[in-house]
Amino acid sequence: MEFKVSSGELLKHLNVVAGAIHPNPVLAITEDFLVDIHKGTMTITATNLETSISTRMAVESKENGSVAIPAKILLETLKALPNQEVAFDADIEQRSLVLTTETGMYKMAVDPPDDFPALPTSDGEEILFSVERLMSGISSTIFATTSDEMRPAMTGVNVVVDFNKISFVASDGHKLVRYHALGTSTEQTGSFVVPKKALSLLKGATPSEGNVYLKYNKSHAFFRFEDTEVICRLINQAYPDFNAVIPVNNQNVLHVSRTHLLGALRRINIFANRTTNQVFFGLADNSLTITTKDLDFSNEASEQLSCEYEGEPMDIAFNARFFIELLNALHQEEIHMTLSVPSKPVLIYPDEQFDNEEVMMLIMPVIIY
Amino acid sequence: MYEKAVLHLDLDSFFVSVECLRDGSLKGKPLIIGGMGGRGVVSSCSYEARRYGVHSAMPMKMALRLCPQALVLRGDMDAYTKHSQLVSQIIEDQAPVFEKASIDEFYLDISGMDKYFGCYKWSGELRQHIIKESGLPISCALSVNKLVSKVGTGEAKPNGMREIPSGEEREFLAPLSTAKIPGIGKETYKKLSFMGVRTNRVLRDIPHTLLDREFGKMGRYLWESANAIDRRQVIPYSEQKSMSKERTFSEDTLDMKMIRSMLGGMVDELAFDLRQDARLTSCITVKIRYADFNTFTKQRRIAYTAQTRTLIAHALELFTDVYERRQLIRLIGVKFSGLVNGNIQLDLFDNTEEEISLFQQLDHIRRRWGKGSIHWANFSMNYRPGTNGP
Repeated sequence: MEFKVSSGELLKHLNVVAGAIHPNPVLAITEDFLVDIHKGTMTITATNLETSISTRMAVESKENGSVAIPAKILLETLKALPNQEVAFDADIEQRSLVLTTETGMYKMAVDPPDDFPALPTSDGEEILFSVERLMSGISSTIFATTSDEMRPAMTGVNVVVDFNKISFVASDGHKLVRYHALGTSTEQTGSFVVPKKALSLLKGATPSEGNVYLKYNKSHAFFRFEDTEVICRLINQAYPDFNAVIPVNNQNVLHVSRTHLLGALRRINIFANRTTNQVFFGLADNSLTITTKDLDFSNEASEQLSCEYEGEPMDIAFNARFFIELLNALHQEEIHMTLSVPSKPVLIYPDEQFDNEEVMMLIMPVIIY
Repeated sequence: MYEKAVLHLDLDSFFVSVECLRDGSLKGKPLIIGGMGGRGVVSSCSYEARRYGVHSAMPMKMALRLCPQALVLRGDMDAYTKHSQLVSQIIEDQAPVFEKASIDEFYLDISGMDKYFGCYKWSGELRQHIIKESGLPISCALSVNKLVSKVGTGEAKPNGMREIPSGEEREFLAPLSTAKIPGIGKETYKKLSFMGVRTNRVLRDIPHTLLDREFGKMGRYLWESANAIDRRQVIPYSEQKSMSKERTFSEDTLDMKMIRSMLGGMVDELAFDLRQDARLTSCITVKIRYADFNTFTKQRRIAYTAQTRTLIAHALELFTDVYERRQLIRLIGVKFSGLVNGNIQLDLFDNTEEEISLFQQLDHIRRRWGKGSIHWANFSMNYRPGTNGP
């Protein structure tokens, strides 16, 4: 099997899929890229058995065929090569591949393509939405997942398909983010949980514009872009019922500038206990006082912020680190929070939602005795 | 003049003194405080009882055999803590640097005060002040380091005061028995006696290489102590690093229901203490001692918490892990360590509203009416068969 391709172009495509290769794979063949040429189109696939990424590019080739090429050596060679046209000549029988460049010839061992694990398939109906929604859905939620293996479902992001919207939900029990991507249209409803690792690979493989075609079955989700497809094994666990725990009647409302609050929390947090990061919010008529105390180092800090607060005066405590993470994931300047009592969840919304999206964040307080 | 001056204060038979303060009629009577059960241990006794050979850490049975007419009290730890805090407060008001070594022991670093006040004079005034304010007898000794001061206080007791001037500390220790050095227990003393070493005078002249060979690490300490060398500093505030509870059963037992209930009860009480101090734990240890005194522990690192429910679940799992032999159990214990200041971070899915409010109410009742006023039916330190739930 022979083909010719621009080295720079090839490297670009290999880099898209290379993320899926595990540094110490269980199955030796998964150290390879599977290269498959069919009618002048080359499909490159990499997998770690959990997540698979494949991408397509045009090549100059007279024949069809496939080969599994060790990823590390191929990537290193291409990286060290100035951009030029390179010729590949693979001999499956001899299990060898010769790479010819302007200046030299490089020979490496390859593996038979049949050993490469087959990718899962699905014939479900595809749901279309924009890449921007997917990207902000992932980046709004991925940080809120837990690393607690005792709660496997919550180590991933819950994707809920519901007629005209696709929701991304993540929580570690202390904070929760719900991101609605609006403006899609599908007849389907359903839900699945994507592992955090797969999502960060997906994020890396997502092109900067265009649409994404999503389909899913019981075990996998398929994200297809123009040239690239990402297939993720799902977490086979029911996601906890978050809708039941999001309060609906928080009657106290606090309006505040996100950047001011974030700045204050960052400063106050320096003085808080380093392990627990606890800070106290004192809410009264149009004033918000944030304080902290670290008894171990005799550190203390307090700041007063202007805000609009309608509701009962309240003292409530939070983990500042969680709060900062949440505020960092928002982009709007003005936000509002709704509260009920110091032991119940607090909801955070941007005052104005961006087009075709809706973000809601939740933070659990720390009990004050 | 003192280059460095360390004052050691020790409340005389502290628990007994507090009991006498609370009930004047107990004064002058042989009094023993400690566990009443078959395996109770003497935690403190009055000087009248000591005359009969009773001393602390002695099994209660033996103590009563020696002094059958003694009055035995269970002891009220809360009251002792309160009085101890009162004394700490007085010292804190006056002293520049002080360390609370235990509930009834204090070290003060008063170096440099000689010039203006006279260390010994100032110490005497402080002691009188404490006696007047708290009504408790206290002994103290002034010397150049912690070790000599502590031994000195032992010599000054009861209700006395002692000064070991700078430069005389070696001579002060020399005639005393080696058993008076803190840290030398029964076994070490026995071994030293076999070697013919009974006083510090002999001990201090033994080459320390020989002591190293015989006692290992301890050898160095022995030699330094006998020579009145002690480099420990007075550390103003020592953070509590762990809290624990253990319980010896009145009879060795295999009653798993009772043991689990008691373990749960201990965790419940400790968790309440944690919450009271606004602290969280990150490591829980369960200890088990079988009838043959073989002791095993198992510990687990957990996410920071002070929640009774989570902690009980961990403790019971650890207990199941550590209980490997089918053998009678003598003692169980539980310890929380890796403590940090902070309050409980609520969990969205784990804590229901009802549960949060239940636990808050329980804690409220305990704060108002005392720890024992309310407890779980199935987890209690005072388990009585037949009266408790599952």
